[in-house]
Amino acid sequence: MTNNVNKLLEVKNLTLGYKVYEGYLKVINNVSLDLYYGEKIGLIGESGCGKTTTMKAIMGILPSNAVIQGGEILYKGVDLLKISKKEMDKIRKKNISMIFQDPALALNPVFKIREQFYDKIKYCSENKLTRTEVHNLSIKFLKDAALPEPDRILDSYPFQLSGGMKQRVIIGMSLVSANELLIADEPGTSLDVTIEDQIMRLLKSIVDQKGISIILISHALGTVRKFVDRVYVMYAGTIVEFGPTQEIFSNPKHPYTALLLSSVPRLGGKEVSKGIPGVVPNYLNPPKGCRFVTRCPYKMDICEYETPKMYEVGKDHYAACFHYK
Amino acid sequence: MDTILELRNLKKYFKTKRGIVKAVDDVNFEIKENEIFGLVGESGSGKTTVANLIMGIYLPTSGEIKYKGETIFKLAQKRPKWLKKEIQMVFQNPASSLNPKKTVRQILELPIKIHRPDVPIQKTIYDLLEKVDLPTDYADRHPDELGGGEKQLIAIARALATEPSFILLDEPTSALDVSVQGKIINVLLKIREEYKLTYLFITHNLSLMSNVANRVAIMYLGKIKELANVDEFFKNPMHPYTQMLLSSIPVVSDEEEKLKPKKIVSTGEIPGALNIPPGCSFHPRCPFVMDVCKTKDPDLKDLGNNHYVACHLY
Repeated sequence: MTNNVNKLLEVKNLTLGYKVYEGYLKVINNVSLDLYYGEKIGLIGESGCGKTTTMKAIMGILPSNAVIQGGEILYKGVDLLKISKKEMDKIRKKNISMIFQDPALALNPVFKIREQFYDKIKYCSENKLTRTEVHNLSIKFLKDAALPEPDRILDSYPFQLSGGMKQRVIIGMSLVSANELLIADEPGTSLDVTIEDQIMRLLKSIVDQKGISIILISHALGTVRKFVDRVYVMYAGTIVEFGPTQEIFSNPKHPYTALLLSSVPRLGGKEVSKGIPGVVPNYLNPPKGCRFVTRCPYKMDICEYETPKMYEVGKDHYAACFHYK
Repeated sequence: MDTILELRNLKKYFKTKRGIVKAVDDVNFEIKENEIFGLVGESGSGKTTVANLIMGIYLPTSGEIKYKGETIFKLAQKRPKWLKKEIQMVFQNPASSLNPKKTVRQILELPIKIHRPDVPIQKTIYDLLEKVDLPTDYADRHPDELGGGEKQLIAIARALATEPSFILLDEPTSALDVSVQGKIINVLLKIREEYKLTYLFITHNLSLMSNVANRVAIMYLGKIKELANVDEFFKNPMHPYTQMLLSSIPVVSDEEEKLKPKKIVSTGEIPGALNIPPGCSFHPRCPFVMDVCKTKDPDLKDLGNNHYVACHLY
């Protein structure tokens, strides 16, 4: 699967930042990632590591103070950063969709689900649909999202639905336009474990059935482990390690990945690890070399001033750390 | 070990326009001195209401709470001062539980002035900061200058300022990253040793619970469904709800995967507290549901070995 033809999405050396009052935040630094057709990848890291920013760049929904300095986002060979707004809209209507973290915030509280769902379907369809067609489509998508009584759901306001149901509605809505790529930004984080489990199983069965590729963002490592084929680990706006899920979880190479994994409390364990000392660096003035250098227990002199490249540490498994040079 | 806190037939009903919400319905348990008692459950199961009842934020509808053998059920304002000193609480979100306009010094000063007027304030504040592993120059910062984990450490220091013997921890790490969570938990465990504290630890993170608690109780729609020692609870979960919760936790290694009960798959959602199902409240989601479950609510039965389960299967 290393053939270029099989790549649905390819982010190449993306570098971007935000202009703020204090100066310029160098957030994303040289991020590259690949997504093959029908593949599920996960993006993990602490909060504030640039996971969502990267996805927003792909969707073209960055806030106005963002500055893209370089890099390419190739979607089926087309650079999304270069095409016009109209063409981007077309791709968003037909191919890509994104699910956000908090379902309560993603739905408009003053409109019934019916109106929001109809709007989305009408907006995304190429030809004019009759009201019955729109209705039938929305029922179909709600059923795909495993919602019982879709008619009742359509007639409800968001506050009348539980968190799990709202997230299912969002998933149903995203299916309208996600024919090829679905970006799920922490879809289960704000839900209870039992509901999160249901939502993740639903997502998995949908993407497997329809052959949709998915990028799952999460800081819940366990969720990612069950769900995806490959994992990218992100720290302070850089990709520090990527590889097959099994490899990353059983044989983490980058110190950050290893520390992050060991911070997770284990079922049946008897103690809690110390966690990772320190915090994610300030983006106004990030460390010059490896961005993890301020917190790394194994740092060397070279880490201070030189940025590590991706070194191969196993089959399809790469880590950006000088220890593997 | 002596019992420090005892809840007897505790009930808290809220009257609303649409009916009565039974937030806490006949809860019984006791917490022993110097133990960490874990309380788990989904959102809406009544965990925080129990915490608020113990703190005296709500008045119970019926039942009683005994602290060191004495009945306490008065509203917070009317509580004797010694009791407020004894029981402290750490809330879920440190960003909203610390006053953003005050410095750390002012935040820590108030409880010391009120409850321990005789101690030197400056020195006590620095001691407290040291106890929670923060540098002493943090005393003159405002909460918004601190990271999420550091804020939570300040909240812990504030709870510690009155020298309590019992601390309620309401999801102290759920708003934080895993990398920070470890730090907070280790500080909590350390000060517990040092001050001989007792914790009521409320969380929905079962993996974390298995690492810190001595005994665990599981709540569902205002009722305790299972209560056991932590080893027993995780090795031998009896209630179908416990099994469902355990089988839903995402884990990060194969060894953990083996510890999870396999057979139960999560279905359904927790119903609203306004329309609690008759009989056993869990029966609409239970894979082992029997006829008796739909009509009769099971009592908490002792299965020996300090393991209590409320289920008709046993």
